[in-house]
Amino acid sequence: CGKYNKILKSDDVDKKYAAALSYYEKEEYDKAGALLEDLMPLLKGRSEYERANFLYAYTKFYQHLYLESSFHFTSFGQTFPRSQYAEEAAFMNARSLTNESPSYNLDQQSTAQAMSALQEFMRRYPQSKYMAEANKVYDELSGKVEVKAFNSAKQYYKLTNYDPQYYKAAVVALENFRKSYPSSVYNEEAAYLRIDAQYNYAKESIESKQQERFAEVVTFYQAFIDAYPKSKFSRSAEQIYEATQQELEKLKKSQTVTATTTTNQ
Amino acid sequence: AQIRIGLGSGNSATIDYANPRKYEIGGITVSGAKFLDPNTLISLTGLRVGDEIEVPGDAISKAIQKLWDQGILGGVDVRATKIEGDKIFLDFFLTERPRLSRFDFSGTTKSQAEDLQKKISLNKGRVVTDDLLSSTRTTVQKFFQEKGYLNTQVVIRQTPDSIIANSVALEIKVDKGEKVRIGELDIVRLRNGQVMEDEGNLFSRLWGDDEAFTEGKLKRQLKKTKEKKLYKVFTSSKFQKSEFENDKKLLIEFYNKEGYRDAAVISDSVYTISDDRIGIKLVVDEGNRYFYRSISWNGNYLYNDAVLARILGLGKGDVYNKEELDKRLNYNPSGSDITSLYMDDGYLFFQIEPVEVAVEGDSIDIEMRISEGSQAKINSVSISGNTKTSDHVILRELRTLPGQNFSRANLIRSQRELSNLGYFDPEKIGMNPVPNPENGTVDIQYSVEERPNDQITLSGGWGGGLGAVGTVGLVLNNFSMRKAKDWKEWRPVPSGDGQRLALNIQANGKRYQSYSLSFTEPWLGGRRPNSLTVSLSKSVQRFNEYDEFGQLRDANIDISGASVNLGRRLKWPDDYFTLSNSISYFRYNMSNGASIFRGYSEADKIKDANNVSFITSFARNSIDNPTYTRSGSSIGLNVTFTPPYSLFKDGSNSFQWIEFHKWMLDASWFHSLSGDGKLVLNTRAHFGYIGTYSKDGVIGPFERFKLGGSGLGGGSFIVATDYIGLRGYEDESITPNAAGGIAFNKYVAELRYPISLNPAATVFVLGFAEAGNNFGSYREYDPFKLYRSVGLGARVFMAAFGLLGFDYGWGLDTVPGRPGSNGGQFHFIIGQQIR
Repeated sequence: CGKYNKILKSDDVDKKYAAALSYYEKEEYDKAGALLEDLMPLLKGRSEYERANFLYAYTKFYQHLYLESSFHFTSFGQTFPRSQYAEEAAFMNARSLTNESPSYNLDQQSTAQAMSALQEFMRRYPQSKYMAEANKVYDELSGKVEVKAFNSAKQYYKLTNYDPQYYKAAVVALENFRKSYPSSVYNEEAAYLRIDAQYNYAKESIESKQQERFAEVVTFYQAFIDAYPKSKFSRSAEQIYEATQQELEKLKKSQTVTATTTTNQ
Repeated sequence: AQIRIGLGSGNSATIDYANPRKYEIGGITVSGAKFLDPNTLISLTGLRVGDEIEVPGDAISKAIQKLWDQGILGGVDVRATKIEGDKIFLDFFLTERPRLSRFDFSGTTKSQAEDLQKKISLNKGRVVTDDLLSSTRTTVQKFFQEKGYLNTQVVIRQTPDSIIANSVALEIKVDKGEKVRIGELDIVRLRNGQVMEDEGNLFSRLWGDDEAFTEGKLKRQLKKTKEKKLYKVFTSSKFQKSEFENDKKLLIEFYNKEGYRDAAVISDSVYTISDDRIGIKLVVDEGNRYFYRSISWNGNYLYNDAVLARILGLGKGDVYNKEELDKRLNYNPSGSDITSLYMDDGYLFFQIEPVEVAVEGDSIDIEMRISEGSQAKINSVSISGNTKTSDHVILRELRTLPGQNFSRANLIRSQRELSNLGYFDPEKIGMNPVPNPENGTVDIQYSVEERPNDQITLSGGWGGGLGAVGTVGLVLNNFSMRKAKDWKEWRPVPSGDGQRLALNIQANGKRYQSYSLSFTEPWLGGRRPNSLTVSLSKSVQRFNEYDEFGQLRDANIDISGASVNLGRRLKWPDDYFTLSNSISYFRYNMSNGASIFRGYSEADKIKDANNVSFITSFARNSIDNPTYTRSGSSIGLNVTFTPPYSLFKDGSNSFQWIEFHKWMLDASWFHSLSGDGKLVLNTRAHFGYIGTYSKDGVIGPFERFKLGGSGLGGGSFIVATDYIGLRGYEDESITPNAAGGIAFNKYVAELRYPISLNPAATVFVLGFAEAGNNFGSYREYDPFKLYRSVGLGARVFMAAFGLLGFDYGWGLDTVPGRPGSNGGQFHFIIGQQIR
């Protein structure tokens, strides 16, 4: 430790740099990082500058300081676009951001950043040896965003027992999900929940609006059964469909009754 | 940096600036660098041999910019040394400058030097350029001028540093000079070219011509620019240019508010009186005072003119005040406004523009041009910034639902709900409606900023009757039971699902121990806001005291209890109401009870007692912000009752099964009194009483009231007793018999003013007047026989510790039999108290 402090205070650039490299080799990243940070302004314009920059970003990565490592890998790529390490730096930036991405029910700002960093990487280095991993990570991240969106939409459906005004909210939110993620695996469930929510929404509505809103249930059901003929929800969906038909018939009858009464008058 | 292509090299290659041409880079060289590595510099340019570039063009200027950005060079020239066919050979001619090795300040204090270091952009290793030196000089000078040293001189001396090659050390010499204060401030008022004078007569100033402002009133509008006067001890009277500019704007704003629409500062001069005094002379042309003559409405289809005029509340003869008009049109925090009339009904695209159609003399005609637009429906709702709290915890609190009409009132209600969760910084809850006019919808984006809200208490205290008491407390307000299974989610505790876990241990060796644990899930099952709370508690208290015959008696009381509470939100009478029911069971094991509940000799017979009670509480809470409340009210009725054993077990009141019913009513109202909403009046009223079911039933020693002091049960704290504060009197001093009273009332009026609204530490001061009494029997009850007190205090709310407070109260009435328990009393307050 005494040796380290001595080196840290020393003004000898070469000795300091050598020590930084040796600490890096020994996986003592906090010490290597501190030395490199000190050296960086003094190495500017010297041949070691490029590698020092690159390793400095790595020391942050290994210390799990992913926001910092992302920042330093990015600035490395901007300062040395032609470097042999540029490709690795671009990938490591994406990986740093990926590690920052939290679980799906929290703010996904880091996830979005990681995804755009990966896209940028894949566009720029299509032949990269990291391509397979990049693709895998990207799929994981986009899956997470999808789960978040589906759960948020489903949340409105969950609250419908508490307050019927959530039925309409669920219909709108589930429809938004379907539009944003047309190929999601959750679309089947979303489509079914939408039928159920719309049916209950129509049922809770005032009579003058019911006709139109039940008709919408029929549209939703038909779209559902066309898209997922063998769905595990088809039995329940069918029941809702049948109930809807009955409601529509009832409405028709009462309308004819009112119509006849008005004509009789 | 310059690009000199084809110059200086003597080469015959010519470059036509009018016609950029593409070349391939044949070679790159660096010249003029003595200390820097050429290869690194080339790599920094981003150019490589074999690249195709346009000359003249972007690529070379970018390369220069990149080298320049490193901040290590004094100059960069690019020359084309050779052009062979379509190949170009570039040379970067660099001028090196010395680097900065270190810098020191002289003539400043240490802390000033530290502050300056943050402001100036001198980093070690940076190249020292003339530009850097002059910007440093300006920054330092400005820094001291803002502090009132208007005559600050700054000199920077460079000395070559021998330790590192090609480097210099800087010495920044500061001569602050005298601190300059404002000696005179003179405001000259012009009206129609005439200089106005202050009326000499006090009467005419107070009652007479209210159109004229005195010079003193105008000077008060300048918030940061003040004269130095002997009696003004706390006034800084520094001269700060930026504040002065701002103050001039404030002065004009003041005039505008009073109807002087044309008021303007026509000249201001700052002159030197002496080395440390300057004078300021402002000349203001007041112009005319304007009034509304008529207000007409145009483009309104949904509401007629009369409705709009009533909401606006301005009309003929009122003083023309643009600020007030804008408030009533757009956003009025303390009342209604035209925009919210529309916006609460989905008319998001609503616009209103007041146009002055005629100005004649001092009269203004206004036409309100309205564009109502169409109703917007909410499409999607999103949240950002929740780095700890799960989406569903936030989503379930929001009142803006997809598919609904947009409503500004719902948006504000959502903000209140988020703020009341306590997980987020209430001053930083963002709501951003993003309209999509093409399909008539709006997306709402909420943004939050998490703040720490777990509380840890570690304290050692001296409680009168008990000696030293140690407390370990932990309250996790945003706990997650679900995540507790996964060790990775412990950061440092599993959080984000909005559950509450509280754990408290208090002990002083063998004499007193208390343990409690409670857990709350606010949305049981996640589908309805039905809360479930489970609590467990155990406490042991041992006494050995001399009784009235001088005999040492041991006594102890052990209490174990459990309770389950179910609460729900109501939609009727309105959706601020909540109802909760709980059932609790307590078992008391006692010996020599009379030593504990002194003055209640029956207690000696009680060996063990069971208390099964049902508690119902019905409450309404509409306060806007729990930390510093500005508006809203909270009212609660709390009823506790046990089964009426005595009705079917004749007359036996052995306390084996305790019976009582207890009623508590608490009401609290908040009103902001000042325009900015900071000065708040809080009025409270509290009542409580205990009764039995049978006519001759005896009320036991448990659950009685003790009044006085901070209400924390400081002195000889006994479990199963209700402590209620009354400042200005000693703790528990207003207690009719030793076991406690059976009915109490208390009224409080408190004025609060915030010192800091910073969420890390909210601080406010208060002044109070309160009155209360505690009665031993219903016969004695008299709502107007009260012990009164007045006093002052302060509260500090820190996220990690909760609310801490300190009050000084003066009890105005003597308590019979307890001399000295009124008068001046200090009270420490821990935690938010209901009563």
